[in-house]
Amino acid sequence: MNSLNKDRHLLIAVDNSENAERAVSYVADFLGGVSGFRVTILNVIPEPPPDYFQSDKDRTAWIEEHKSEATRMLDRFRQIFIQSGFVKDKVKTILDIRHCPSVADSILEIQQRLECCTIVIGRRGISKKEEFLFGSTSSKIMRLGRNCAIWVIE
Amino acid sequence: MNENELKDMIAHWAGHDKVPKKLKVVNDTSDFFGIDYDDVLMLDNHPYFIRNYEREGRFSIDEQPKFWVRRALDLSDGDLKIIKMVFHERFNARVGDLTFECFRSPQKEAVILDIVRGHPNFMQGFCVNDASGNIVRVIDYIRGKTLADYILELGKDHEDYFYNHFPSVLDNYVDLVNAIRFLHERDQKHGDIRRDHIIKQKETGLYRWIDFDFNYLHKENMFGYDLFGLGNILAYLTGRGDVTVEQLKESALSVFHQLNTDDLNIIFNNRVVNLRKIYPYIPEALNFVLLHFSVGANIFYDTTHELLADIEEVRDKLRRS
Repeated sequence: MNSLNKDRHLLIAVDNSENAERAVSYVADFLGGVSGFRVTILNVIPEPPPDYFQSDKDRTAWIEEHKSEATRMLDRFRQIFIQSGFVKDKVKTILDIRHCPSVADSILEIQQRLECCTIVIGRRGISKKEEFLFGSTSSKIMRLGRNCAIWVIE
Repeated sequence: MNENELKDMIAHWAGHDKVPKKLKVVNDTSDFFGIDYDDVLMLDNHPYFIRNYEREGRFSIDEQPKFWVRRALDLSDGDLKIIKMVFHERFNARVGDLTFECFRSPQKEAVILDIVRGHPNFMQGFCVNDASGNIVRVIDYIRGKTLADYILELGKDHEDYFYNHFPSVLDNYVDLVNAIRFLHERDQKHGDIRRDHIIKQKETGLYRWIDFDFNYLHKENMFGYDLFGLGNILAYLTGRGDVTVEQLKESALSVFHQLNTDDLNIIFNNRVVNLRKIYPYIPEALNFVLLHFSVGANIFYDTTHELLADIEEVRDKLRRS
C-alpha cells in the first residue's frame, strides 16, 4: 500500500484572512516533521451569480483576479508547511471557485470526497449580529461535520 | 400596428382626451430616461401606454421616483401594469452598522416571477426582451395598502388589536412566511423583505410580496437577511407598529426603565422586540419567537422551517386560548 494512503489526511480550509494564516501556522508548527500526516490546503471561493456581472468579460476578469490572488496565497501556505518539515508531496492545494450557496457545505463535501479525518479552520471572530445576518462558516462546519474531527483555530 | 390603430386603442382604454397629438412608439428601453409620459412601448408586438413613474415607494428602496419603473396601460385589455426596465446598479447596503454589497438584478426578478406564477402570495407578471434584449418585467398592478399601513388601522388600542385582530393577522403572516419558504426551497431569496413590500390586495384580500430584483453577495447563510426581515415584520405586527425606545421614554417611562439592551432588536438597537415587557398579555411562546431577533439571543433561526414551526405553535395556542 502507498504510504500516502496510510497517512492521516488533514483538510485545512483557508481564505485570505489572518485567521486562516493562524490556522496554517498552528498545524505546521504542531505537526511539522511528524511522520504519518499529510495536508490538503483548500480555498473555496464562491463565484457570484451570473447576474452580478454586466458581461462575460467582467466575469472572466473577476475569476482571473481571484484565481491569481488565491494561487499566490495557497503557494505561500504550502511553503509554510514544507519549511516546517512536511515532505513536498504530502502538501497539496486545491482552489475551488464555484457557485455555492454555502462555503461550509462545499468544504464538507470535499472533506467527504478526499476522506480527510480532520478539518482545520480559522475562526474569524465575527460579531453576534454578523453571525445572525450572514451566518458563520466555522459554526456551520462544527454543527454539520460528521465522521471527522474539527479543529477551530482562534 | 399603425399610429391610428394605437390612437384608437388609447381612446378606447384611456379616453379621447388622453390621446396624444403626436405619438412616439418605443421598442428599446436601454435609455429609459428617454421614455416619456404618453409614449407607447411595444414589447413583443404588445402595446403599453406609458404613464407616471412609480412614486409610491413600493417598488424601490426609498421614496424617490424610480425612472426605470413606470405605470402603463396595457392597450390590449386596459389593465394597469408596472413596467420595470433594466437598471444596473451596485451599492453597499447598510443595515444597522453592517454593510454588504448589493446589486439590482432583472434576471433574478424574472426567474422568480416565473417560479411564483399563480402563487397567491406574490405579485404576478412576466418578463419580455425588448428590441435590444433588455429584460423588461411586466407586472400586474396591485391595488391596495401596504401591510405596514393596514396594520396601523386595526383596533382601538393595542389590547383590542391583539385580541380581536392579531390572530387573523398572524394567519396571514404564516402564509407570507410559507411563501418565502417556497422561494428558499427553490434556492431563491426575496432579497428585500420589508413590511412595505407586502401589499394587501383590495379586490381579493390576499397579501402579496412585491419586488424581487434586489440581490446581494450572501455569506454563509444565504437566507439570513430574509429571515431578519421576517423577524422585523413579526415584531411590527405584534407591536402594531414599531415600538421604539424613544417612544417609551416619551410616553411610558416606567416601562422604559425596565428595559435592558438584551430586549432590543439585534440590528436596529432602538426597536424593542421583547414586547411582553410592554404588553404583558402577549403569550410567552410568541415572545420567545421574537427574542430570537434580540440582542440577547443566543440561537437564531437558520431557516423558514424553524421559524414556521415555532409560529405554528403560537398560532395553536392563540386559537385554544
